Amino acid sequence: MAAQTAQGTLTGALEDYLETIFQLLQRQPFARVRDIANARSVKAGSVSPALKRLADLGLVKYVQREYVTLTDEGEREARRVYARHQLLIRFFTQVLQMSPEAAERDACRIEHSMSDEAMDRMVRFFEYLSACPNSPPDFLERFHGCSIVHEGSVPCPHHCEHDQSMRRVGGTSMSVYDMKPGDSGCVTQVNAHGAVRQRLLDMGILPDVRVELERVAPTGEPLWIKLDGTQLALRRQEAQAVLINRS
Amino acid sequence: MLRPPPKADPQPAAVRVALAGNPNSGKTSLFNGLTGARQHVGNYPGVTVEKRDGRFRHGGRSFELTDLPGTYSLTSFSPEERIAQDELLGGDFAVVVVVVDSTALRRSLVLLAQVMQTGASAVLCLNMADEARAAGQQVDVAQMESLLGFPVVETVAHKGEGRDDLRVAIGRAVDSSPGGPRLALGERLEAAIAPLRPFLAEADVPENRRDWIATKLLLGEDQFVERMRAGGEPGRRAVAEAERQRTKLETETGQDAPLYITERYFGFANGLVKETLRRAPRQDARALSDAVDRVLVHRLLGLPIFGAVMYGIFWLTFTVGEAPMGWIEAGFEALGGWITGLWPTGSESALLSLLVDGVIGGVGGVVVFLPNIVLLFLGLALLEDTGYMARVAFLMDRVMHRFGLHGKSFVPMMTGFGCSIPGIMATRTLENERDRLTTMLVLPLMSCGARLPIWMLLIPAFFAPVWRAPMLFMVYGIGILLALVLALALRRSVLRGEDAPFVMELPPYRLPTLRAVFQKMGERAWIYLRKAGTVILGISILMWFITAYPKKDGYEVDTLLAEGTVQLDAGELANAHAEEDLRHSIAGRIGSGLEPLIRPLGFDYKMGTAMIGAFAAKEVFVAQMGIVYAMGETDEESEGLRETLAREYSPLTGLSLMLFLLIAAPCMATIAVTKRESGSWKWALFQLVGLTGVAYLVSLIVYQVGRLVV
Repeated sequence: MAAQTAQGTLTGALEDYLETIFQLLQRQPFARVRDIANARSVKAGSVSPALKRLADLGLVKYVQREYVTLTDEGEREARRVYARHQLLIRFFTQVLQMSPEAAERDACRIEHSMSDEAMDRMVRFFEYLSACPNSPPDFLERFHGCSIVHEGSVPCPHHCEHDQSMRRVGGTSMSVYDMKPGDSGCVTQVNAHGAVRQRLLDMGILPDVRVELERVAPTGEPLWIKLDGTQLALRRQEAQAVLINRS
Repeated sequence: MLRPPPKADPQPAAVRVALAGNPNSGKTSLFNGLTGARQHVGNYPGVTVEKRDGRFRHGGRSFELTDLPGTYSLTSFSPEERIAQDELLGGDFAVVVVVVDSTALRRSLVLLAQVMQTGASAVLCLNMADEARAAGQQVDVAQMESLLGFPVVETVAHKGEGRDDLRVAIGRAVDSSPGGPRLALGERLEAAIAPLRPFLAEADVPENRRDWIATKLLLGEDQFVERMRAGGEPGRRAVAEAERQRTKLETETGQDAPLYITERYFGFANGLVKETLRRAPRQDARALSDAVDRVLVHRLLGLPIFGAVMYGIFWLTFTVGEAPMGWIEAGFEALGGWITGLWPTGSESALLSLLVDGVIGGVGGVVVFLPNIVLLFLGLALLEDTGYMARVAFLMDRVMHRFGLHGKSFVPMMTGFGCSIPGIMATRTLENERDRLTTMLVLPLMSCGARLPIWMLLIPAFFAPVWRAPMLFMVYGIGILLALVLALALRRSVLRGEDAPFVMELPPYRLPTLRAVFQKMGERAWIYLRKAGTVILGISILMWFITAYPKKDGYEVDTLLAEGTVQLDAGELANAHAEEDLRHSIAGRIGSGLEPLIRPLGFDYKMGTAMIGAFAAKEVFVAQMGIVYAMGETDEESEGLRETLAREYSPLTGLSLMLFLLIAAPCMATIAVTKRESGSWKWALFQLVGLTGVAYLVSLIVYQVGRLVV
């Protein structure tokens, strides 16, 4: 969607030109047509009509043939487009952890059609991130752990709704030992110490992991559980240590 | 000045490579594939944990491969984990190959994260790739490699697939410069580790180990805390700082350090899987295995099916094994005959006697069981490689655990009814040291096949026909009961300690490959044979010596004969000579010397002498009794000997004797195997002395109380 300016509509392509000129002007007093063409990887011949259109909109003024600069209006517009671009890149790389190249490519595509409201929200999101005392916030770190290899973090909730309060206070007192065959639930706590605790954790019995009781041995013990693709046998002692939130 | 050119090292030192991985990841199969026959299987000193070393060559270089114990993570809680960790930290490996089960990627990759954190130069081996592919899983190996920064290879160990790729990858990892991308475990953990690094540097911890040691100090693992504290002031400061950081980490995250750090490892694993999994495995990949489980571990059918499986294995062992056993027996007999033929008839040559009675008699008596052993191990290898063994443990654990044993103790103990030696060797399926030692130590109480001839001789001699079957049943029953009680006693005393956590993986059923099964079977059969050729040979010679020497000059019976006091035919005379010889020998004298000691049990020197023979092999007791009673060659069917026994002793003595033979000193081969499998003579001698002590006590009580009652 094109943005409205005083003089009329500004297309995505024109916004890109505006942005390019803005970037060039950071380094030199004027932008030459050849530089613009180089930066945008287009022929010099196709730059001129665009510049002419921008000049018609009152955003660009010709200093002389081949040399242009931005009007005040033009600079304001360019800064707005550029900020969006940077914001999107920051979101793609820092939050979604995309590669810089992919972020650049997608930012260029989205920046033109993004509404002011979405942009506003994004600004507020980043403000929250930097202001939050718990930095980076848990949810973000958890998310990164789920998706990004170099930012190893907390495991993904395997089909379990994450409930922080439940986890902190221990939630229900129900353990795997109290389950009936066929029941399933989410681990809230591993209530053991030392070797037992470490072993349970090492086998993937972690908070928010879904476990299902498959069967109980004919003698009543051990218990056979399923979780995330593995199947384990637990004795009563170990099964009682794994507290769950039935669902 | 001329200097001699530097001498080219004719054999450059082998590159040291370690294999790390979860149990059931096919690590040992991979090890066998890489090294072939060039391997050595032993124990880590003093523990039951198996140690495998082997060699292979690739690209003109020689590699020395060490198979680390299978573990799920590197902690200090179990002996296996401690050894794996110590080896990784101190073993100086150029490369560590981490073998993972491709069908359980997430869980297996935790170990990879830990190995990376130890600063090792790693190679990731995605084993069981065929199974994962069959389940529809697709992993982008190239992507994984580029993310990790070290070689990643897909293999199918039991089929040898990918073995050459792995060799190439190991070579590549050796050549690449050390220190790839550092493992990132999140900003918070990094923030806790970073302040520890300078302290660890000051404490002379090598750079590549600092992160690992720091993590262990954050976890507060005793082994590391103590070692750092012992290292002087910088070490103590590192520990103090780690405690501060741990408190900070725990307050900030609201989780304790073990949970937080384990979650980080899983986070890494999750991330890696997410980034590289092109297609997830189908949900129903285990459907067939689960369906089989619904039958095999069924509430009602599970135990009967297991009973049938055990029966099948014993049938295989004893029925099919009978014929080749006969051939081996005949072979040794022929060999003995041939050797005897080299000497003139009636020769008294000591060498001949040594060869025929000592070596062939002793070693032959053990080797004769080889067909049974091979078949039994074939059955056990099938149980293990299909994954059924884990189900057996699931079914039996409750009962076994009540007595301080483990579900996996059941099969080795059942095996003990055949022979203690394969039973003790079969305890290798038990991962936990204490469980394994307990099982091993009480296993000889399972009345073995070699003791059956003793019961066949003694029971009819002392008990009326109606009592015979119940008596036999009772002997076996007492053995089982005592084994369980003693196991419990051991766990309450010598092997005291908290139970190892019982979190047992139940892998899907797998079709075993013939090669893997035969390799496992062959390996154990070879250990058995080698034992027969070394320790058992030595003890056989010793036993032969003490029963044959010193020689007697003149026989009393000859004087009596000359005086005309007795009338004997030639056979009776020879038997009388044999009896006098034995009495005169070291064994006979020991037997006589023991008499005051064993009299309270109701035994006399003749029984004592026969028992010394029984230490060589239980069934020898029958033959020795024949000799001390001058009956000549006897077996358990011998009516003459039974009548003599019934005349000479009371049924109470008979009962006391049976109990003693059931419980006391297992045979020498058992002791030798216990030494090998436990990794020390300490446990073997403990077993010998302990069981004999218990036997003495039981027989003493039964005989003395019985005398008051009867």
